[in-house]
Amino acid sequence: MTAVNNEQIIPVTTRSVRRRALNRTGRQRVIHTVSYLLAIGLSAVLVFPLFWMVSTSFKTMSEANAPKPVWIPAAPQLDAYAQIWANPDWLLYISNTVFVTIVAVGGTLISVTAVAYAFGRLQWPGRNFIFYLMLGTLMLPVQTTLVPQYVLFNWMGWIDTFNPITIPGFFAGGAAMIFLLRQFLMSIPRELDEAALIDGANQWQIFWYIILPLMKPAMVTVGLFILVGTWNSLQFPLIYLQSKGLHTLPIAILNLINPQATTQPWPLIMATSLIAVLPLIVIFMFAQRYFTESIVLTGSKG
Amino acid sequence: MQLTDSPKLFTTMWAIGTILFILVAGYILASVAKFVIRQQGGSRTLQEKTFLGYFFASPWILGFFIFVLGPSLMSLYWSFTNYRISEPIVWVGLKNYSDLMQDNRFITSMFNSLYMTVIGVPLQLAAGLGMAMLLNQKIRGQTAFRAIFYMPVLLASSTAVLFTWRLMLNPNNGVINTIFRWFNETPLYYLNASFIFLTELTSALLVALQIRNFTIVERILSNGFPGPERVPLWLGSEGLAFLWNKPSVVVIMMWSAGAMMIIYLAALSGVPQSLYEAAEVDGAGPWKRFRHITLPMIAPATFYNLIIGMIATLQIFEPAVTLVRDGGQNQSLYFAAYYLWRATFRFNQIGYGAAMSWVLLIIVLMMTFVQFKLSNRWVYYESE
Repeated sequence: MTAVNNEQIIPVTTRSVRRRALNRTGRQRVIHTVSYLLAIGLSAVLVFPLFWMVSTSFKTMSEANAPKPVWIPAAPQLDAYAQIWANPDWLLYISNTVFVTIVAVGGTLISVTAVAYAFGRLQWPGRNFIFYLMLGTLMLPVQTTLVPQYVLFNWMGWIDTFNPITIPGFFAGGAAMIFLLRQFLMSIPRELDEAALIDGANQWQIFWYIILPLMKPAMVTVGLFILVGTWNSLQFPLIYLQSKGLHTLPIAILNLINPQATTQPWPLIMATSLIAVLPLIVIFMFAQRYFTESIVLTGSKG
Repeated sequence: MQLTDSPKLFTTMWAIGTILFILVAGYILASVAKFVIRQQGGSRTLQEKTFLGYFFASPWILGFFIFVLGPSLMSLYWSFTNYRISEPIVWVGLKNYSDLMQDNRFITSMFNSLYMTVIGVPLQLAAGLGMAMLLNQKIRGQTAFRAIFYMPVLLASSTAVLFTWRLMLNPNNGVINTIFRWFNETPLYYLNASFIFLTELTSALLVALQIRNFTIVERILSNGFPGPERVPLWLGSEGLAFLWNKPSVVVIMMWSAGAMMIIYLAALSGVPQSLYEAAEVDGAGPWKRFRHITLPMIAPATFYNLIIGMIATLQIFEPAVTLVRDGGQNQSLYFAAYYLWRATFRFNQIGYGAAMSWVLLIIVLMMTFVQFKLSNRWVYYESE
């Protein structure tokens, strides 16, 4: 912190201060406009892959694999979508993905909220030790337990079922999620609990009627994270879902690529991709207003 | 048709069973904790609080034993054996670990992570900070921009979106190289050529360091400044393309820098405006204000992003499967997570995979420790 030296402020005359203030508003307007234009330009760049996905899904095979890329198809084709519609497998893949996501989000969200409540709101012996232990597991890469978990699931007869992808979440999977919820809980004034206690409520009632409704924004955020993680998940399904009838969208899309061929069915791949991505975007648009606030909280107090 | 319905029913039954198990086991755990406190002569309120705390925390405590501690101890044991699921377990001592140290693919995956840590993460940090500073100008529609800037984070691990990148980053007919070719016909060509030269040189230096043979660097230097016909090779699989596979992933990382942006936005809003005003009166220009006020004040956020980003480089998995064929030309997209998956699940070497996961854990702990030590020098916390 070297640049600040308050003593030099004093000799500045009022007039030059006013002129400087005027200059500043003028300059700020320029900065403002430039920032605005930059933000629009950057948004266009960031959204471009989605535009390309949509555009390619409507191309013909030769347009999609043309030596010079075609930006917008000359005559939009619905072939790719017709192909998906005609093949009942895709409905199965979608229903598998939706099922896995609902089970994982439901189980994880309930358990994570309960655990965060214990860490952020209740006083009990051993709490801090267990909390730091949990933070320690944040450092643990998923890969360290990947192998022994596989052996465990193999022993339980869970290979080629949805269980390895959904059930572990019920045990408050995801230390980062617990941490985010706990940070949010800490920001809810404690006087609320105390007032309720005086009014004769017990801890269960406080949790259910007072804390839970207030936690909605943080729970939407955590729910979205778990949803996106499960929906996009590729590594676990690749390991555990072997039969075709269990495949989720990410594996099904991966299988569309033929590693031996030089041209790929890009319109079909992009059409299925759009189906896989669209729900995420729609849900994000609804959830986003809750969402940034709760993460900001974690970042600033972390 | 039975496959479509019964697996879901099977998992639904298991889900209900699991909830019941957690409730019962949690009740027992909490009762035991309460009993212990009573034996120690704790008051009635303390007993009650202990019961509640352990009951609410029981899902995590149970999960920790079943899915983290138990498996970790088992994997420590297996890492000293040649366990392969189907065959009997034979103790092999440190063989897996010594094999690992000589395994070129494993070493490659470590160097690939190093590249990402040295080149990729800083660029991602810069992108995140740039977006955050832009949004910190309090422009109109800030919420909408924030959502758009963040959205790629949700999409970056999606197979669907990675395939879109694969299409766009095709060196021959991808749309990104088409844009590069436009610029190659204008004076901006020098910018393209410098970018190509710099990217190839840094990638080659790292490869040379790994194989301790600098002919590839010499080759790039002797090729000289790229001509106007050259374009980046991105996700290609021929010639020098292996130097470009990792930069392609860096591009995708920068595209999805929104998570870092959110952390930076929070940090930026915490910098007192009075500091900037005072510095401006003192005649400090924008660069000086950025360098001497903004950067030091947001150092904790940078530190947080850096740690998270570094650990993430070990876990890059999806790009190796979706962007290229089998981990890329010359294993250019082999990262620890991918190689571990490949060795363990495609070739069933459980013991070897277990050894690898322990080495990984030690590396993560070391990286974090070093970062914490170094951070004392440059991270400034307000409370200190």
